[in-house]
Amino acid sequence: MTLIDRDNPQKLYLQLYEILRGKIESGDWAVDTQIPTEEDLCKTYEVSKATVRIAVSELARQGYLRRQQGKGTFVCKRVIPEGLSMFTSFKELMLEAGVSFSTKVLAQTVIMPVDDLDIKLDITEDKHIIYIKRLRLIDNEPILLQETYMPHHICPLPLEEDLENNSLLEILEKKCGVKITSVQDYIGITYLNEEEGRLLGLPVGSAALLLEQLFYSGKNKIKYTRSIKRPDRFKLFIELERK
Amino acid sequence: MAGGKVVKDLMVDVFDFPHIPYWFSIRQAMGIIRKSVIESTKCVRPIVILVFDEKYNLVGTLTRINILKGLEPKFLKPVTKAEVHEESEVDLSVIWDNLFSTESKKLAEKPVSEVMVPAKLFVEQDDPITKAAYLMLHNDLVLLPVLENKKKLVGVVRMIEVFDELSNAILSEQ
Repeated sequence: MTLIDRDNPQKLYLQLYEILRGKIESGDWAVDTQIPTEEDLCKTYEVSKATVRIAVSELARQGYLRRQQGKGTFVCKRVIPEGLSMFTSFKELMLEAGVSFSTKVLAQTVIMPVDDLDIKLDITEDKHIIYIKRLRLIDNEPILLQETYMPHHICPLPLEEDLENNSLLEILEKKCGVKITSVQDYIGITYLNEEEGRLLGLPVGSAALLLEQLFYSGKNKIKYTRSIKRPDRFKLFIELERK
Repeated sequence: MAGGKVVKDLMVDVFDFPHIPYWFSIRQAMGIIRKSVIESTKCVRPIVILVFDEKYNLVGTLTRINILKGLEPKFLKPVTKAEVHEESEVDLSVIWDNLFSTESKKLAEKPVSEVMVPAKLFVEQDDPITKAAYLMLHNDLVLLPVLENKKKLVGVVRMIEVFDELSNAILSEQ
């Protein structure tokens, strides 16, 4: 059993956090099992209650644990935390989270601007748009449905690339030479229609997280992405720093 | 004849034409024809929308006639002589006029896959233009998709250019 190393300059709560996270990720503590009480953890790792509380709080914040009032703390299905102003691709995010993920490309084709897509992408109505629809899975369970729209004239390559194994952001930056400089995120709630419900494995009309993102390269709008996320598998957080 | 020209000599870029996926509605297609073709500075003839599947394979073409046929209520569609109702053309136009506010609006929500002309005939870049002309004439088509290695769509060949090329050859022989 890994113990706290008091000669290690790393803070105690961080050491404990890593030990407990290791137990969850290795499956030593299975999903839905109750973790030891605060007192037990204090005794086992010879640390104070405050240290245990901070480590457990951080694990809960990151979606590894859930607290149930009066019942205890349980291991939960991994919830992927996501920063709001993210440049990170789904692949990077999943690698960071250390989970097994995959992507199914449902559509990779070309459309014309309908609804307000011309305004969203700042293009005229006769411009072609690359339309990509992807279903993201963790451990073969669908968690995210993502539709991406990009003006074809900016870079046609995403129409031909393997998007099951490659990141669209990487293709844009490395192959098309388009540097993403800023992203605007709009967060809301959506109610699933029949197709979305079927793809995400949720009942029609279920509430889900909606993240709409506008990617810019300088002043040019490069892509618009509409992501529908299972609310039980994602949470968004904002980190603020006093300057 | 036609100076031994091949399809790629006359081919135009597929991106000169609007693209839609087969699941778009007739209503969306109507909007696209109006906004991105008729009202656009780039009004390419013939006015055709190319219809694609999820993997960007061409599955059909859509003209204004296909769209209007899709909006026509079923009972107004051609019937055999024995079934023809004894009504004047004026009466029929009045009937359709009334229906445009109700029936046709419902029909406009149908996917374009139900009214498009399926893409079944293709030519290769190195095919002679006479082959393209033959296929268009015998199948009543205004354009044909051009493939590279029987797979990748690289352009379209139109009746306008084929006619122009063949007529040049005929007229210059006089």
